[in-house]
Amino acid sequence: MPRSKPAKTAPPKADRGFSGFGRYAGPATLILSSLAEGPKHGYALTKDIERFADVRLAPGTLYEALSRLEGQGLIEAVQSDDRRRPYKLTAVGAEALRGHLDAQRRIADVGLRRLAGTWGPA
Amino acid sequence: MRRKESVLWSRAYRLLCWYPKEWRARYGDEFMELLVADLEERAHSLHRSLDIARGGLIARSASAGLGGQPLDPDDAPRRSLVAIGGALSIFVVFALAMWVQLTIGWQWSPPNTVGTSLAMFVMSAAIVAVGALLLAASVPIMWSVGRNLSRGRAGQLLPPLLLSVGGIAVLVVGTHHFANGWPGTGGHAWGRQGIVPGGVAAYAWASTLFVTSYWAHPDALGGFPAAEVAFMVVSPLAFATTLVGLAKVVRRLDLSPRVLRYEKRLTVAATVAMAAFFTGAGMWVFDGGPGPRNLFHIGAIDLIDLVAIALALVVAALAVRRVGAAAGQLSPG
Repeated sequence: MPRSKPAKTAPPKADRGFSGFGRYAGPATLILSSLAEGPKHGYALTKDIERFADVRLAPGTLYEALSRLEGQGLIEAVQSDDRRRPYKLTAVGAEALRGHLDAQRRIADVGLRRLAGTWGPA
Repeated sequence: MRRKESVLWSRAYRLLCWYPKEWRARYGDEFMELLVADLEERAHSLHRSLDIARGGLIARSASAGLGGQPLDPDDAPRRSLVAIGGALSIFVVFALAMWVQLTIGWQWSPPNTVGTSLAMFVMSAAIVAVGALLLAASVPIMWSVGRNLSRGRAGQLLPPLLLSVGGIAVLVVGTHHFANGWPGTGGHAWGRQGIVPGGVAAYAWASTLFVTSYWAHPDALGGFPAAEVAFMVVSPLAFATTLVGLAKVVRRLDLSPRVLRYEKRLTVAATVAMAAFFTGAGMWVFDGGPGPRNLFHIGAIDLIDLVAIALALVVAALAVRRVGAAAGQLSPG
């Protein structure tokens, strides 16, 4: 549960938090979706993403996306004595993920509706 | 069991070395943990190795001020200057290697096409401009080195300074020695009919002997004098040593905002000169005329030179943008 609600003065566009991610938008979505459940370290993220998305993020790709997400303030490292430092979603990250997934859902809805109209229901 | 673990850790460490020092300081421990776990599950994976190599190179580019990620504002201008210096140095080596072929040809006979003649003038003007700008850029840097040394920073600055001086010494001695053997006119009566003095062309030729397609023809290379081959091997190492030393010096210098703004203006001008040289070189390559007695023919090495120059130009342009943004944030000095 975020401690503070993000400011509402400038409502974010759907993908505002994913701007500049380019080819890392995919890994970023997977990482944020995994962290939406709670803090995780690198290996736990890899395994969780593999479980729910059937995608194994390679270590280089994972950490490239993690450092970008951290740089944009969408996630932050959790203080830990363990060498495997966990990361958690920030309030800004949660808002960005929500906007991104909403946009993806709208696209998916349109695509499925058009498919059903032209090709019949699945 | 312990031996297997230690093998995994050393493999993970080798992979970690793709990343720059600052990245390793921030993410090294956790990344090693992930790598060891991944290596335990999949002992060998080409995809993983390539992914890490790519990630490391991206992190190194970002650390040099070439990526899209923000840098420490205090360090950003120096990093970008180092990136431009590196790109400019690579450019100078490949540009000299390309230009010197035209200078050699012209010593014997002028080109018989407008394209090659014009290319030679453009490339020569660009080389002179880059040389002058490098000289102008080095003056405040050398002044800052002197000032930093007098403020008791010798311990930090002297080791890289000596490294670069050593590299420069090897290059100067070798170039001076091998310049005597350049394939120009020597004492021929037709000498000095080119637009570039023979001495300048000879030194440019000797300093870039290692930029050659002979590396792909070891049999032909075997016919060269051993000392010349040795210099061809040593000179790129000396060049790299010089570059690394100078980069470390600049990274450790306290440069005033005024100097940074001055350097920024010079880097913009140098990038324009690089673009002009690239245009001239392109004109020669596309003109492509072998010229009288095949003196101006294009070889595979020229295309490699052109690609290297294009890459250096792209890196310099990216870094100029970064140094411009960083210098713009500095308070007036």
